[in-house]
Amino acid sequence: MTAKRDVSLTVNGVAYSASVEPRMTLVDLLRGELGLTGTHVGCEHGVCGACTILLNGQAVRSCIMLAVQADGAELMTVEGLSEDGQLHPIQQAFVGQRGLQCGFCTPGFLMSVYELLQHNPAPGDDEIKEALGGELCRCTGYQSILRSVRDAAARLRGEVPAAATEGEA
Amino acid sequence: MTPDLPKSLSDLPVTAPKWVGKPVNRIEDPMLVTGRVEFIDNLTMPGMLHCAILHSPYPHAKINGIDVTAAESLPGVVAIVTGEDAERWSRVGYTSPEGWGTHCMATDKVRFAGEPVAAVAAVSRYVAEDALELIDVDYEPLPVIVDAHAALEPDSPRIFEEHDSNVMYQRDFKWGDVDGAFAAADHTYTERFRWHRVGANPIETFGVISQWNPISETLTCHGSFQTPAFMALGRAAMHRLPTNKVRAIGQPHGGSFGGKGGGRGIDITALLSRKAGGQPVKWIEDRLEYLSAGGGQAWDRFYEASLAVNDDGTVTGLRVKLLDDLGATGEGFGATGAAKPMASFTGCYAIPNAEYDLTIVATNKLPASPYRGMGPPPHNFVLEQMMDIAARDLGVDPAEFRCRNFIPSDQFPYTIASGNEYDSGDYDAAMKKLLEMADYDALRAEQEQARSEGRLRGIGIVSTIEPGVFDWNAYAVIGQKGVGVPEGVSVSIGNTGKIIVRVGFPLEGQGQYTVAAQLLADYFAVDIGDVEVVAQDSLSAPTNFGPGGSRLAVALTGAVLGAAGKIRDKFVRVAAKLFEVQPEDIELMDGKLRVRGVAGGAQLTVGQAAGILIHRTDLLPDGMEPGAEATFVWSSPDRVPPDDDGRVKSYLTAAYACHLVVVDVDPETGKTEILKYVIVDDCGTRLNPANVEGMIDGAVAQGVGAALLEEYVYDEDGQLLTGTFMDYLLPTIHEVPATEKAALVTPSPFTPLGAKGAGESAIHTTPAAIMCAINDALLPLATRATEVPATPNRLWTLLQAAKQP
Ligand code: FES
Ligand code: FES
Repeated sequence: MTAKRDVSLTVNGVAYSASVEPRMTLVDLLRGELGLTGTHVGCEHGVCGACTILLNGQAVRSCIMLAVQADGAELMTVEGLSEDGQLHPIQQAFVGQRGLQCGFCTPGFLMSVYELLQHNPAPGDDEIKEALGGELCRCTGYQSILRSVRDAAARLRGEVPAAATEGEA
Repeated sequence: MTPDLPKSLSDLPVTAPKWVGKPVNRIEDPMLVTGRVEFIDNLTMPGMLHCAILHSPYPHAKINGIDVTAAESLPGVVAIVTGEDAERWSRVGYTSPEGWGTHCMATDKVRFAGEPVAAVAAVSRYVAEDALELIDVDYEPLPVIVDAHAALEPDSPRIFEEHDSNVMYQRDFKWGDVDGAFAAADHTYTERFRWHRVGANPIETFGVISQWNPISETLTCHGSFQTPAFMALGRAAMHRLPTNKVRAIGQPHGGSFGGKGGGRGIDITALLSRKAGGQPVKWIEDRLEYLSAGGGQAWDRFYEASLAVNDDGTVTGLRVKLLDDLGATGEGFGATGAAKPMASFTGCYAIPNAEYDLTIVATNKLPASPYRGMGPPPHNFVLEQMMDIAARDLGVDPAEFRCRNFIPSDQFPYTIASGNEYDSGDYDAAMKKLLEMADYDALRAEQEQARSEGRLRGIGIVSTIEPGVFDWNAYAVIGQKGVGVPEGVSVSIGNTGKIIVRVGFPLEGQGQYTVAAQLLADYFAVDIGDVEVVAQDSLSAPTNFGPGGSRLAVALTGAVLGAAGKIRDKFVRVAAKLFEVQPEDIELMDGKLRVRGVAGGAQLTVGQAAGILIHRTDLLPDGMEPGAEATFVWSSPDRVPPDDDGRVKSYLTAAYACHLVVVDVDPETGKTEILKYVIVDDCGTRLNPANVEGMIDGAVAQGVGAALLEEYVYDEDGQLLTGTFMDYLLPTIHEVPATEKAALVTPSPFTPLGAKGAGESAIHTTPAAIMCAINDALLPLATRATEVPATPNRLWTLLQAAKQP
């Protein structure tokens, strides 16, 4: 075991500091040390995207980054999306368009979509696929995720949300 | 006593259902999208230790000794267990077929690379993994057998010395006069097929926290269990504990698809907790472990199939010979996948004579697990290729050929050659609708055009059954005894009319809690938000099984409506006494109890009736038990064990689907591109159509993976070459096509509300459809793809061979 190192970072606007082994991954710091368990781990080798968070505004895989690499950074995780119990428009779109089943991959998707819509408020389907090509979902077959992203973009542009799943009661 | 359950939506005590049958949003989702659901790895406990497991690097080896002393002295390590502890405190695992099991950690030898050999509990996963590196195992390698055919040779190395061969199971089932049918047929066709290992791979791997209590001698396990009660039963047997001393708590989990696995992980953490004096021990399987040693591998199969066909295109006989490579042991219910095809053996077709020559063999690979569909998907792939082979030879269009052989819609319920009964359907109507939606004639014209331009364009059209609502009797032939799969819930209503429904299964992704809430909201005419679904652990919940075998929506509907009906009956008697009429004169309608046929008369709300049952027992009819609550346990009616020929009425419902797929195979690279995908399906009454659509979309994706991408590859030394998601390729958003869908609704006459099992869905159909399309594309080259997945490399190799003069 190597000597621990101090890490200070901001997550969802809250400042944290922790003393960690240099080998600790960023996702283990978030989940295990800071108690932010909304970010999930599906592969631990950088392929599935379940652990996606924003680091200084950019989507990164927190399973293949070390906690010490995030020293001084500003992070955003799924816990930072909703405010005062109100779902973020992206979350509302995923609920309304059935963009999830088991929901395990969802936090990663939400963060990737957040990043995409930050700099592209009206993405075409090809751009959405490009942005989400590195996120795996085993449940939905992605069609409802595509719908969700289109709907989320519309909501964020202030347009009337698309009708939720057809025939909505 | 079985109450009369509503047979259709119009039988519900509500003028117009507001929730059931509608694509209502899922009550599960707000918690999931905010990251607030308690998946197992989010859970932590005081004093909790972390487990890491040492897996064998050898596929077949004797263990001459294990030295854990260095690992034990690593600071932070609390307990280490090996096969010796497993032998002391637990049993050899249950298997089917019987007698092919091991302990949860290897004792005398290892039988597959990845088999657990030792495990460490330490203060962190990091320290536990450090300790693994200090464990010294003395292995003596044994000859390795990875080829299923070689494993059958009399002089093959044996996986289990106590058996005189590696054959775990052999039986030749014959139904009808199959030899006669083949002798008399105008044409017979035979082909061989290979389906390589694929598997579930939910994005959340398996995880568990086990805690042994040394005082009460009880075991408590939290985990990502698909079926907590069933898991608990297995653990009680494994650890020689009374069944009421094992509490399994199913955490919500990130998908399962039958392949969550976990038995060994629970047992190992239980042993570690025991050795650590009762500290809780957590194990979260990592992806490498899931792929190489978890519940993710299924269906490793060699097929030979024959069809007997007359000049008029009638299929009179089907023979399927299957060699199923189950891997190293019979644990984990993998072999059920070889039995289940008997539930829909002849597909949608009226084929009177059939034979299933089934051999299950052991090799030095990971023991196979169940996977969504539970075995028929490869069988359907084979049957549908055979249908196309025959159609082509006879010059009949593949869609037309299928229509000629469909079970006619007026013949339901229909008993197929292998004994299962299909409840209802109209296959012809589904096929017609499919061809119309797809504009089939135009597609064929486009195909001709494409071919003339040198492109390899193919159209696949298939129709398959999804057996729904499994029964254990379906697996009796391979040693899984039992009839009936009870599913129970308890419902209680408070004095303000708020409803609680207690179930025994955790959230898994199919939206079942929403279905339960929809049913109760309509039954008692409350808002869906007034229904709370509570998951209970295995010691608290009513008798239940949980999801599996496309059963839960149907079984849950039966259980919920049964319990609701019992409460209604009490309400009716309470109201009758209050209004001084006979119970027959009272009805529940739109949430009110009122005297039948009297408009504007006295009425009681559901909340009032419940309130009387709880707080005014003086008003109850004589002898009535207080409380507005009831438990009901539902199971499929009318099931019995198989007959002497293995014929059995097993799965209660037969949903079906017709798929049409258009593909282009790139002549240069062998890569398949899906251009169009059309689906018509019929799963009876749709309780929540959006749930059903989601199941279809997800299952199409898994079918695309199975047909084109996913494969567990072992080298000849028994080493897995696909141990990461860089090698085992799950479909991404780029590979999964958008589908055009339409639904027919033929309600099941045998289930509450007429719903059919629909959870496995398109995985039964998609691989067959894509392979038919690929083979249609390859037709001009006179070559045929018989191996799944049809990777670019495989197709390229076929194309190269076809180009040779
Ligand atoms: S867990 Fe980080 S990419 Fe899969
Ligand atoms: S919703 Fe289950 S993995 Fe995406």
